[in-house]
Amino acid sequence: MSKNKQIKTAQTSHKTRPVLHKITPTKLVSWFLLALGLTALAFSIIYTSSILAFIGLGLTFWGALTLYITTEEYVKQTLLDHTITPSLVALNQILTELKYQGKPIYLPPKYLKDFETTKIYIPKNTNTNLPTPEEIQQQENKTFLKNPEASLITPPGISLSKLLEQTLGTSFTKVKLENLQENLSKLFIEDLEIAENIEIQTKPTRVAQKMADSISVIQLKNDTIQVKITNSIYKDLCKEARKLTHICGSIGCPICSAVACAIAKASGKPVTIEKTESTEDGKVIEAYYRIIEE
Amino acid sequence: MNFPLSFWDISLWLAVTAIILLITSELISPYYGKTNILINKKRLNHTALAMGILFLITVAIRIYGIITSP
Repeated sequence: MSKNKQIKTAQTSHKTRPVLHKITPTKLVSWFLLALGLTALAFSIIYTSSILAFIGLGLTFWGALTLYITTEEYVKQTLLDHTITPSLVALNQILTELKYQGKPIYLPPKYLKDFETTKIYIPKNTNTNLPTPEEIQQQENKTFLKNPEASLITPPGISLSKLLEQTLGTSFTKVKLENLQENLSKLFIEDLEIAENIEIQTKPTRVAQKMADSISVIQLKNDTIQVKITNSIYKDLCKEARKLTHICGSIGCPICSAVACAIAKASGKPVTIEKTESTEDGKVIEAYYRIIEE
Repeated sequence: MNFPLSFWDISLWLAVTAIILLITSELISPYYGKTNILINKKRLNHTALAMGILFLITVAIRIYGIITSP
């Protein structure tokens, strides 16, 4: 076989094949119902039978309905875990190798030039102060920042967070923090069916504020947010992520990260994931977020 | 060779179907776990509403008929 012919054969084999639609038993039954219904309707007209007409109408309707309500394409859950885990492992390896010890901070859009995104700021060392929005905007396109040494990465849950916004029909920047529970519940349970239940609780912390030398006022600040997610589709992934020190409880798995992005956008303030806890089987995930006062 | 169902037969059929679908779409669990038949709840809800509206249209036609009849 000549070289040209070989190349041509290789190109032919790479041509896109026509997509074969899988005939599932549900679809088969639906089409059968539809056909049977239409036949009954035809016979009802020929024999002028109202019973046959009702049977035909019912079968046609339910056949068409089952075809209409089962047309969405779904993928198996195991595929989800196997495609996401390697990227989280790689991110964890990079941060471990580079010896990043600071607490990752989810930056709200005001720290970035794009007002619809969030990024994670990871300081190299602990006890490093968060730079001003202007300082971060100057180096926004870089992954590794200098003065102070830090890293600016895209959160693992940014895409999920954008999907949540897309489904909600508005940006989280326009949603008040108090309404976040209501919106996330609808999105997680009803719209996207990510989890069986989601509870968001704001925990007030006491902050002593000195008014004068002898007077101090105890002020309540709603800066800790507890999010409890029950039976999420990411439960196996969360179990895997527990082994990754830089992911679980700091950057967060995609679901915790997406919630962190939403809180950062809704509050307009930097957010950290304080800790994440999950049950042995991973069915209940509890994440604690802290809003940083600037 | 005529279609054997009258307008009111269709109206009754629409009412029964709409009730069944509306109850199903409201009672269906938002989280239905592992199952072989995957139902798009939104589409089911839309169909139920459409059937309900169609039935209401037949009712409106009936009312209009009663009002305008001498």
